[in-house]
Amino acid sequence: MAFVAPKETFSGKVFEVTIGTDKAISFGGENVLPFHSFEGTVPHRPVIAYEIQDVPPEDWPETVRSVYEGVSSDPVSWARFCEDKLNAKAIALRLIGTHPDRENKGPEEAKKVVSDVLSAIKVPLIILGSNHVEKDSEVLVAVAEAAKDRNCIIGKAQEGNYKTITAAAMAHNHKLIAMSELDINLSKQLNILITQMGFPKERLITDPMCSALGYGIEYTYSVMERIRLAALTQNDAVMQPPLLGDVGTYVWKVKETQASETELPSWGSLKERSITWEAVTAAAMLVAGAELLIMRHPEAVVAVERFIDELMQ
Amino acid sequence: MALTGVEIFKLLPKTNCKKCGHPTCLAFAMKLAQRQASLDQCPDVSEEAKRILGEASAPPIRPVSFGSGDRTLKMGEEMVLFRHEKKFVNPAAFAVEIKDTESDDRINSVVEDVLSSEIERVGQKLRIDAILINNVSGEASRFEAVVKNVSEKAPNVPLIIATGNPEAAEATLKIVASRRPLLYGANKDNAEQMANIAKTYKVPLGVKADGLEALSSLTEKIKSLGVEDLVIDSGAMKAKDIIEHNTLIRRAALKKNFKPLGYPVINFCQREDKILEALIASLGVMKYSSIVVLSSVEKWKNLSLFTLRQNIYTDPQVPMQVEQKVYKIGEPRPESPLLITTNFSLTYFIVSGEIENSKVPSRLAVMDCEGLSVLTAWAAGKFTAAKIAQFIKESGIENEISHRELIIPGYVAILSGAIEEKLPGWKVTVGPKEANGIPAFLRQRMS
Amino acid sequence: MLIIGEKLSIIAKRVREAMLKRDKAPIQEIAKEQWMAGAGMIDANIGPAEDGGEALMEWMVTTIQEVVPLPVCLDTTNYKAIEAGLKVHNNQWGRPLINSTSNDPERFPMLELAARYNCQIIGLTVGKGGLPADAEERAAIAAEIMARAMEYGVPLEDLYLDPLVLQIATSQDHAQKVIEAIKMFKEMNDPPMKTVVGLSNISNGCPKQLRPVINKYYFLMLLDAGLDAAIADPKEMAEAMEERPLFEKVLFGDNIGDPKKEMVMKKTIDIILGKTLYAHSYLEM
Repeated sequence: MAFVAPKETFSGKVFEVTIGTDKAISFGGENVLPFHSFEGTVPHRPVIAYEIQDVPPEDWPETVRSVYEGVSSDPVSWARFCEDKLNAKAIALRLIGTHPDRENKGPEEAKKVVSDVLSAIKVPLIILGSNHVEKDSEVLVAVAEAAKDRNCIIGKAQEGNYKTITAAAMAHNHKLIAMSELDINLSKQLNILITQMGFPKERLITDPMCSALGYGIEYTYSVMERIRLAALTQNDAVMQPPLLGDVGTYVWKVKETQASETELPSWGSLKERSITWEAVTAAAMLVAGAELLIMRHPEAVVAVERFIDELMQ
Repeated sequence: MALTGVEIFKLLPKTNCKKCGHPTCLAFAMKLAQRQASLDQCPDVSEEAKRILGEASAPPIRPVSFGSGDRTLKMGEEMVLFRHEKKFVNPAAFAVEIKDTESDDRINSVVEDVLSSEIERVGQKLRIDAILINNVSGEASRFEAVVKNVSEKAPNVPLIIATGNPEAAEATLKIVASRRPLLYGANKDNAEQMANIAKTYKVPLGVKADGLEALSSLTEKIKSLGVEDLVIDSGAMKAKDIIEHNTLIRRAALKKNFKPLGYPVINFCQREDKILEALIASLGVMKYSSIVVLSSVEKWKNLSLFTLRQNIYTDPQVPMQVEQKVYKIGEPRPESPLLITTNFSLTYFIVSGEIENSKVPSRLAVMDCEGLSVLTAWAAGKFTAAKIAQFIKESGIENEISHRELIIPGYVAILSGAIEEKLPGWKVTVGPKEANGIPAFLRQRMS
Repeated sequence: MLIIGEKLSIIAKRVREAMLKRDKAPIQEIAKEQWMAGAGMIDANIGPAEDGGEALMEWMVTTIQEVVPLPVCLDTTNYKAIEAGLKVHNNQWGRPLINSTSNDPERFPMLELAARYNCQIIGLTVGKGGLPADAEERAAIAAEIMARAMEYGVPLEDLYLDPLVLQIATSQDHAQKVIEAIKMFKEMNDPPMKTVVGLSNISNGCPKQLRPVINKYYFLMLLDAGLDAAIADPKEMAEAMEERPLFEKVLFGDNIGDPKKEMVMKKTIDIILGKTLYAHSYLEM
């Protein structure tokens, strides 16, 4: 019996998305399952953005907080550090300080942080709210304007606030993240609702909601795989935007990235363990279909970039 | 082509004798169709039925195992490409490589690490499953000594004897054949000799070729020599090749019923950079490896890999469950709120996450409802007033808290009166229907 | 085709309140409506009914049978409540149906009741923990339930196999697996096994205006597969039967001269067969 490679080609393809202006970067565009360059085209590497925030990262565990000591008290120096020292290809600014339970900063303050960060960096910026449905509506509308002409990604639009956020992204020519909670059908529904407002589906990024290794990652993994299969095998256009894995924020709150080795000797060194936890979570998201990742620890990012190197070439 | 249960049933004796351990021939036929039973369980089956069923019931990926006793490692039998379609069957085994060129001290310390690698996670015992002893020296005598040493120090750990040298293979198998190791190292140059050794010592054989075409011809040749329990290696080392080869192998076996590649796959994932090694090994776990070979045994690396394997090999139909108990979120005081929900893991993750978001320290009582979500569990009679009351009483929570108020999910508001009846002295408060309402709900109570 | 009227369920607020207050009027009104719309049996779903289930089921059965000459489908996990219902059931209008046994040992005693009271019983093809992954698993569980029914002395013609309809909004792939399972169940005995579904669960979680659309067309596809009974809304099922000739045409790719209706049918068929991914707005795409 002679072997004939059972290659598969598809009618559908993932949209190619370009973000930023000075140092613009593109992702997506493939017409095959993740890293299947042996049977189709994979024009771009997945992109990893470094996560920073508008307030000092006091809630981040020591292992990752210490990396940014000295720069993280100010979002501008933090962003510069990522771009200059860590060679970040993109930066994700999370406006967590706007959350009503945190510093409750107003839209004007958020606008200023965004403008300051934008004038300090050349790489593309992803602007994230605090994930508070009502507050994000106000904050993201304000910052979308502040960031106009810079071709950013803003998000996340959810079922409860997509109208205002979509309108703002549309008005100021940004890309938009649409997030639903681990439900492929609701994810499709949200993308439909957003495109029914006139927002081009080619400018969307789907976030099916990330989960950390050991904390439901298999759900995210399967939802991503199914979204990719729908995009490719069914040529389902609303499922063809690239996928986001918002890895860092989910990983750096689980016990495995915080418990000391003294507390749990069978888990081994905290530093390597937590970095690997973030890297493995990210790798799983990539293999499932994510084209854009948001991560925190530089050593995890470096390992994942090397992993991508090996997968691409 | 696989036969349906009813087609198989027609070939069975239809005596309902129960000798197979199933209540009827029909029930047995259905299990055969799902490959959850084997035809030799039926003592009365005709020769003709055996012939027809034997061909039809051979799984597309051959079941192969190595090791012995309760540490036996089962591989193969996979039926799908994507885990959402149906459960991945046999979790990838993690094997650590020991080179026979390494010092005895280093070898002994790796064996020690393997022996102490076991951890428990979500009710499963997880560990480095096997040791691969690699005949890097090329010498038979050194290899034999190392195998002997390792096999004595790790008497229960399944072994992979990796050598392309038939003499070395034979010498070591004389010592350890009874443990049913995997003999890895057949290639186009030594195929006959290695096949004969595998046959003589009744061990499965690992076969390596360069690329899938060469691998297919080689497995066919070895099969014709009478060895069928094979583990295959296409020579893929780089991540790009691993994903390509493993995907094509799995597709060829499942979609084309291509027998020459219908075997479990072994991948070598060793890297200098140990974090990168964890990622390459993760790729193996996700993309169809049956054996993932590592270079080292670090506890922190093990924890990620064991967890990923457990997550990926979870049955998507059986909701992952968390342990029944009262979980503390934040640092609750005796007067902190007490909420209850079911033990469906996703429910637990989302509810506990929202309680965390609320920043209100609380207790969350998680009740065993076989992993069903709140409404489904209620409808199935598993999340009922009497069962909730019994759980609360038996949990001992009454000794830990200073109040007697239980917050129940909004979806089962209907239960509030009945729970109060069965838990004298308790007040039941109806919480929000959806978890995202929890932060506002808890904070409002505080103000 | 036997339609078992689904409307008397504790999930519905109006029914729940009537049950609590023992208010006969709404129960009887709903029972009559379903009978007039073509129901051949009335489902009485009282939930797990841990407390007072016996009295409640007794009251439900007598209340229903006071006004409609139909048998009742006794729907609860409470064994004693089922027995109480069986004792007062008026068999002059037909034999009652127990809803349900399954492959979960907790539910085996229901078979003993079915044998003792010579009534019919639904066998839900689920086991303990976890849902069946596909049609084959459902068939394997069905075979187990059939064997157990024989053991308990329940004739196979009194057993209705139920493949468990799941929500299309969250478990789309199961819509087709249930259709396949119905076909398999029919083949598993001679004469063929009887089959039943709890139909409306297919559209549970879908927008209100979509629910009848999905219910009706899914019902028609199950009918083609050989379905014998459905716990459903009899009004919807009557409408479905009226639309059946047109629907069959669309299924075979024929033009029906009503492009709008044809589109609705086609899109719904594609959703049921898993050719397009479900979303609440699928008809608008």
